[in-house]
Amino acid sequence: MRRPKLRHIGAALPRKEDLRFLTGHGRYVEDIEVPGALHACFVRSPHPHAKILSIETETAKIASGVIAIYTGKDLARWTTPLRMAPPIEGLRPVEMTTLPIDKVRFHGDPVACVIATSRYLAEDAAERVEVDYEPLPAVANLEQALLENAVKVDESLPSNLVSIQKYKTGDPEARKREAFKVVESEFHQGRMTHLPIETRGLAAVWDEGRQHLTVHIGNQVPHPYRSQVAARMRLSESQVTIVSPDVGGGFGQKIALYREELTVCAASRQLKRPVRWREDRMENLMAASHAREDSVRTRAAVTKEGRLLGLELEILEDFGAYCFYPANYLARVVAMILTGPYKLRDYAFEVKVALTNKCGNGPMRAPMAITSWVIEGTMDAIARELGLDPLEVRRLNMVETRELPYTMPTGEVIADITPRETLEAAVKAIDYAGFRKRQAAARKEGRHLGLGLCSVVESTTYGSKFYKAAGIPGSGHEAAWLRIEPGGAVNASVGLGATGQGYETAFAQVVADGLGVEPSQVRMQMGNTDVAPYGMGSRGARGGTAGGTAIFLAAREANEKVLAIAAQMLGFDSAEGLHLVDGRVEREILGERVKTDLTLAQVARTAYLDPTALPKGMAPGLDFSKTYDPPPMTYSNAAHACEVELDAETGALKILRYVVAEDCGTVLNPFVVEGQQHGAIAMGLSGALLEHMRYDEHGNNITGSLADYLVATSTDLPGFEVIPMHTPSRGNPVGIKGMAEGGVMGAIGVIACAVNDALSPFGVIADRQPLSPDYLRSLIRSAR
Amino acid sequence: MKPAPFRYHRPESLAHALELLSGLEDAKLIAGGQSLGPMMNMRLVQPAELIDLNSVPGLDLITEKDDFLEIGALARHHAVSNSSSVKTCCPLLAEAAGTIGHYAIRSRGTLGGSLAHADPAAQLPLVAATLGAQIVVNGKRGERRIAAKDFFVSMMSTALEPDEIVVCARFPKAAAGDRHAYLQFSRRTGDFAIVAVACTLQDRKLRIGVGGAEDKPLVLDGLNPAEEPDAIARKAREAVDPAENPRVPALYRKELVEVLVKRAVARCLTSN
Amino acid sequence: MLDFELTVNGQRYPVRAEPRKLLSDVLREDCRLTGTHVGCEHGVCGACTVLVDGKPSRACLIYAVQMQGHEVTTIEAVAKDGKLSPLQQALHEVHGLQCGFCTAGIVMTFEAYLKENPRPSEAEVREVLSGNLCRCTGYHNIVKAIIRVADEGSDATA
Repeated sequence: MRRPKLRHIGAALPRKEDLRFLTGHGRYVEDIEVPGALHACFVRSPHPHAKILSIETETAKIASGVIAIYTGKDLARWTTPLRMAPPIEGLRPVEMTTLPIDKVRFHGDPVACVIATSRYLAEDAAERVEVDYEPLPAVANLEQALLENAVKVDESLPSNLVSIQKYKTGDPEARKREAFKVVESEFHQGRMTHLPIETRGLAAVWDEGRQHLTVHIGNQVPHPYRSQVAARMRLSESQVTIVSPDVGGGFGQKIALYREELTVCAASRQLKRPVRWREDRMENLMAASHAREDSVRTRAAVTKEGRLLGLELEILEDFGAYCFYPANYLARVVAMILTGPYKLRDYAFEVKVALTNKCGNGPMRAPMAITSWVIEGTMDAIARELGLDPLEVRRLNMVETRELPYTMPTGEVIADITPRETLEAAVKAIDYAGFRKRQAAARKEGRHLGLGLCSVVESTTYGSKFYKAAGIPGSGHEAAWLRIEPGGAVNASVGLGATGQGYETAFAQVVADGLGVEPSQVRMQMGNTDVAPYGMGSRGARGGTAGGTAIFLAAREANEKVLAIAAQMLGFDSAEGLHLVDGRVEREILGERVKTDLTLAQVARTAYLDPTALPKGMAPGLDFSKTYDPPPMTYSNAAHACEVELDAETGALKILRYVVAEDCGTVLNPFVVEGQQHGAIAMGLSGALLEHMRYDEHGNNITGSLADYLVATSTDLPGFEVIPMHTPSRGNPVGIKGMAEGGVMGAIGVIACAVNDALSPFGVIADRQPLSPDYLRSLIRSAR
Repeated sequence: MKPAPFRYHRPESLAHALELLSGLEDAKLIAGGQSLGPMMNMRLVQPAELIDLNSVPGLDLITEKDDFLEIGALARHHAVSNSSSVKTCCPLLAEAAGTIGHYAIRSRGTLGGSLAHADPAAQLPLVAATLGAQIVVNGKRGERRIAAKDFFVSMMSTALEPDEIVVCARFPKAAAGDRHAYLQFSRRTGDFAIVAVACTLQDRKLRIGVGGAEDKPLVLDGLNPAEEPDAIARKAREAVDPAENPRVPALYRKELVEVLVKRAVARCLTSN
Repeated sequence: MLDFELTVNGQRYPVRAEPRKLLSDVLREDCRLTGTHVGCEHGVCGACTVLVDGKPSRACLIYAVQMQGHEVTTIEAVAKDGKLSPLQQALHEVHGLQCGFCTAGIVMTFEAYLKENPRPSEAEVREVLSGNLCRCTGYHNIVKAIIRVADEGSDATA
């Protein structure tokens, strides 16, 4: 395939999406008017663990505006339970009913759904629903979950351990025996939640005449979501349409088919009326989906010089009470890519995931976020225990360019990455050498500066071979179509779900270069499952690589046909030397480009309305479909560096500088890529410094509002100095590597490393996040 | 999170507002709504009657009198912090008011509302207590003037009777040569303080108010500015007795009091 | 149920609603101005920020009935005849928005603030912006846009 010159891909084009968002004319799900819609409100458990003895709804039913009240037993008649049972060794199958019937498993678990004529009235009625609970002892944390005779969160399981994955390659035990030292480290990440500014919500419209359900919902994966809805409601996929409008952030929270959403769909069908639900923020905090809460231990066998001989890894994750996604996912990603850019042959891991009586986990932007903190923190620990420079330890162990492609101990192959280059660039930008001098001088004045380094090798894209190898059902391919209308307008679509990533602009740029038009001539149509081709949606940084390439391939096919028709119309034997540039056909004569009078619109008109003028044997129309299965894994890389100042008296932390050198491969739109990097870093820093979803020792959620669950504001974050160092990937036709989650990984790691550098005079180590001031202060106090 | 139903009243005079307050059962007053609004949306508070004070004229005035600066209960934090009278007569108040919440909160939140709400970590109760302000209330028994130290009784609890409304607060005016400092420690800009310290130097006496450490502001009076800030800070640390709290351990709060007092005193002594 | 009249963006809207109906909900449902977004309903996220008599206020903490006799301004009134305000234009040019859900609240906050303080420092911008949560951008480009408007404003008057 002839690769065109890229004029639009890589251009910093301001976004087409912006106009409607800036002027208040976006269409998020709650903005869509659905005449006659009823409103849902959920009654939720105040107990972390309790039997449901009875639910009395008669008093509530007579409240003003109430149309119906449904419980788990009703939903069990209208929907199937969710069975999560991928055939993976070590992963236990779990099943959940649409709404709980026998017992509730966390504080906020929905037990009944009130449908009324307004949300206000629905909330009034919800207060009148009487649920008789028999409280059960709650499993409030991992320690309790893994006790010998622990109370079971899910009675169908033999214990609360829902997944255990082990792996070994080489002989890490032998390496420990041979080692100069075995360095042990711990890393504990707090429980968090995605917190999109737009909470969950949907409007379900059942058409009794057509026996068809239309669901307006902001969702990252419209097609898989549709398949799920259809299956659970015992409908065929032809009977369900998902329309995802503008979405106010997803970050992984808007992928799964949640129980509330299925309930609202079923209610609409039952009542033969549209029903809508908008989650409020308290519900979103308490009962949408949580994330992280991982504990990791490493044991690194090292030589005297700091070279890594072997590594053992243990991960323990608190998955909450329900499995919204397979519990083994973490094993596959974190443990698999943990060694990152470092050379290692002897590696073993054990990943355990346990259930507790908390809200279930969902994949949150960079589900593998802890990865870089763990490996980089281990590098720092090695340096600390051996009295070496942490940068030198990294340089010693990092794979060299000439050693690429490099096969990681888990069999993952990293190629076309530049970790050494990005590391050195970040080190230079942050003035590593000069910093040590400044740090020494500041310490004499009683000021505590710290510098952190964190290299990231970010796994992206996840092609079908990845899922197969991991035993996770599903595909990694993506689908696109492109249609040139008779008047010359270009419509294109891809099976992704936009939640703010600028697809409408970036993909228009892809089509522009692939086909030969201007981005302004291209309109992207996404999110509607009747319109878009069946694709796997937006997650795991796959949009650019999988989606972008599929669109590009469709555009190239279109380009080929257009030029073949143009050749015919111009009277040439072949399309050799013909190009489409900004919608006009050009001819190459002796190395010079000459414009013809022929436009895309004219070619299109012929294709649709004058097919007998087409080349012999060519079908009419300009409609193209393509699918693309990317490599099982693509990698991008970056190096983060930051400087902090720690107030030893209060534990307060200030970020003085933040630098990131990154290689994301071919960049579709530098604005979008840089914006994604900013956002990912911000989310990482916010989690590392502030976010903490807390439950008390009885399992009650005590983080009920945004006054308790803190996220970073503009005064908590620094400006970001981004150094682009992009080199194309040879793994796909456009050279994209994918990105958007690595920033989270880097931020979580770099801030911890910087804080520990600042703490080094005190001889204490911060191994827990969030790095709250009282935690840091308690470490310093303990050192005295 | 929608509030429970209520009947709405919009009195256009203080007299009418008082009449409604004493006549209606289960009534609450709303001024800025920045504290009450969230509580009602979360249904933590469900009054049957809501009396809106925003249409009562004359309650938002900032007036400089001979012996005090009088600030009406409906004066918004933004107006207070930007008022030239407040900056001149009561700079500690202007400074502290400017740190309340965020721009939009300060546009609506009121002085009377903040004082009546009596959050132990809030700026205005701390400043009122530190400066020895007088809170003027009106009710069935007519007008009462309550010294700040008597007004703040406990956490979220004041000396207001159920039939009384805060009408204004009177702050002593700063004299030439007076100094002040205000420092607070919070997780993020605009969050409630974990610990806050207001410090004044008047007539060669140092006065320190500590907020957020106990159920109401604690004022330490008659301190000697010549004493080492470290020593003063230790005294303050010994004087506070914070309750144990899962989010903020008492020991940490005591440490913060000591650090903030030390820094506030140092700043106060060098401020203009 | 009460019947009252609201003045929003210079236009009169007759409203029939309970006194408890929040301004955010009345704007969106009764006035059909859906540009004001609801993010938390407890005054923290700032997505619902509108102007009340020109001053930024959380629409989720106001009962619509309270707005009788006042002027409410929402995001829909900022661009005039399709022409973006300098702030809106700057946000577009420096990529200061991604999902767009928090954007209206930020625009309203700063349309007001820049009138009061036309040339804020970066620290002042970040301080005022701290009352609006954004989960997508990390604030970097939003700050950049506001500083650009401030700088251009000062160039214009110089």
